[in-house]
Amino acid sequence: MQLAEVELDRITGDIFAAILGLTLDGHRASDTFPPDERVVTGVVQITGDFEGAVSVQLGEHLALRAAQLMFALEADELTDEEVTDTVGELANMTGGNIKSALAGSSALSLPSVTAGRDYRVSLPGTVIKDRIGLDCDGDLVVVALMQRDVTL
Amino acid sequence: MQAIVIDDSRATRAILTRILEDLDYEVVQAGDGRKALEVLETTPEVELALVDWNMPVMNGLEFVRRARADERYEALTIVMVMTEGDVEHMVAALDAGADEYAMKPFTAQVIREKLELLAVGS
Repeated sequence: MQLAEVELDRITGDIFAAILGLTLDGHRASDTFPPDERVVTGVVQITGDFEGAVSVQLGEHLALRAAQLMFALEADELTDEEVTDTVGELANMTGGNIKSALAGSSALSLPSVTAGRDYRVSLPGTVIKDRIGLDCDGDLVVVALMQRDVTL
Repeated sequence: MQAIVIDDSRATRAILTRILEDLDYEVVQAGDGRKALEVLETTPEVELALVDWNMPVMNGLEFVRRARADERYEALTIVMVMTEGDVEHMVAALDAGADEYAMKPFTAQVIREKLELLAVGS
């Protein structure tokens, strides 16, 4: 599996630019959110020749901004469901594009979304193959590619 | 002109609906393929469908197969709008009867060009 060829930053940047009109400005020194910040995480699983998952994490501020842009609504008009839907769809697009960049034949799950403070995303039986923190106008975006650990 | 946007993501349905409304379409929406077939039963004048692939209940590929098996929708132009950018999925979509496909992420310009290519609504 050609994991080295999967450019998480380029794929994520293309999605944010096309769908949201936002620019991601390269890697941040830290890929960790402050413990008091509410973080929304979208995850899609990949099954087939590649077994793993992709997660996309946005702080609440950026998640709201993304939902505003996708739904063309003001922040106070948005529901939690619309914010959840937005992050789920960003994870779906990111996972789908990563899957397409991987060799072989694989299928993509529907996205799942969770939100909260000071938590870690962990998929049992997988290892993190790549994880990046990107900057979006001062907000952090974290994208991770996990792969099933075949040594287990 | 009437169009249907079929996607389980409300956010993507909202974006595609705005793009089509800018092109003077009246747009109806559905969150999965089965719901879309129900909508088409009551809205037979729909002439364009933008269809996601990966949806619960009934995915986009199955929707395309069922729509193409029904002669009432013979004139329906179907564009699959999907995250799967590999050749395998593209071929499967076209083989099932989709007229064209667009990749997510898309821009309004890409969708407009696809529709111009298909001469939909002209």
